[in-house]
Amino acid sequence: MDDSHARKFQKDLNAGLVALVLLAVLNRTSEDLYGYEIAKRLQKANEGESLFKEGTVYPVLRALSAHGLLTSRIVPSYSGPPRRYYRITAEGRAVLGDWSGIWVQTRDFVDRFIEGVEE
Amino acid sequence: MNRAPRSIDEYLKQLRDALQGSDPALIQDALYDAEEYLRAECASHPDKSEADVLELIASTYGAPEEVATAYRDTEAKVSAALRPITPRSVESSNPLRRFFGVYSDSRAYLSLFYMLLTLVTGILYFVFVVTGLSLSAGLAVLIIGLPFFLAFIGIARVLALGEGRLLEAITGERMPRRPVHPGPRSGVWARIGEMLKDARTWTTLAYLLLMLPLGIFYFVVAVTGFSLAAGLVVGPFMVLAQHLGWDFNDGISVMQPALLAAPLIAPFTIALGVLIFTALMHAARGIGRLQVAFARALLVKPGM
Repeated sequence: MDDSHARKFQKDLNAGLVALVLLAVLNRTSEDLYGYEIAKRLQKANEGESLFKEGTVYPVLRALSAHGLLTSRIVPSYSGPPRRYYRITAEGRAVLGDWSGIWVQTRDFVDRFIEGVEE
Repeated sequence: MNRAPRSIDEYLKQLRDALQGSDPALIQDALYDAEEYLRAECASHPDKSEADVLELIASTYGAPEEVATAYRDTEAKVSAALRPITPRSVESSNPLRRFFGVYSDSRAYLSLFYMLLTLVTGILYFVFVVTGLSLSAGLAVLIIGLPFFLAFIGIARVLALGEGRLLEAITGERMPRRPVHPGPRSGVWARIGEMLKDARTWTTLAYLLLMLPLGIFYFVVAVTGFSLAAGLVVGPFMVLAQHLGWDFNDGISVMQPALLAAPLIAPFTIALGVLIFTALMHAARGIGRLQVAFARALLVKPGM
């Protein structure tokens, strides 16, 4: 019962956060990354129960790319279909700046109530 | 609920089933992404069998149903959040403003450009298909006949994909971003057989052939509409210039009665010219949309 509430809450949160995390990951690296690599980096950073399924990373990458926040190129691969490598664009960096600001604001706001500092 | 997939092909099949009814281009994207992940995951665990790797997939990558939902939701949500407000959504209820609002819609300009471009692409496609088909038929008796035909079909598919990308750039409607997923791996002969049986192979060729008449038609409509509108708008100014003693050397001679009536009818011809051009812009936008529907019907495999 509680588990399903928790899952739904996590899913709602992830709707926007996955995009923010992906932009941040691609902003911090100088090399181009493909979907699987990105998914593995997130998995490694996240100890314990996974916050989101790695399968949800791909559609978000595509959406970001379709809106010009990422560029992508396709490289043939021996182990399967061609891989799509992603890189952040200048527009993506600008959006990441905006979104990070919103995130910090939101986090501080929520924390204020959860920690009960505010009287 | 499906039983857990035991192989990559099974996983892809379940994913395809779960996405049934979605945009074909989205299904293709999802299948490619999943295959990239699953094959990479298998390759990074060489000690485990495919079935063992697949067992863990539901908790890492997600079960096919989950992944399918993610694609559908993301397409709707992220796109909605990022998409700038399109002219369509700010369309006012005032019919006059709606009529002239077409000038602020970049798709109308692009579609007009597409109408001119189709004459060129139409001729190229037509020549390509006719040459390819006749050479294939001619070479059929020789050993290079089959490879030639296969290469011809392959290029036709690339052209079809390019045409789709062009249409997406012009109209903003989603078209496939990659070649069709070949499905489970099978032998060369089986694939050739499938390709020949695949109706899309033939509809693609039909589309490329039909682009010649369509291209001529679009080109004529665009050029005629534009020249007519330009003539009606510019004409009165030419008459005015002639009144002021401007001599156009030769070529343009305005008849005397027209010269006298010009000041009276000038507002009407200019208005008519603007009206015709605006109507042309609307027609271009409509043709862009129709062309997308046509391309989807012939170039994109239904239900893929």
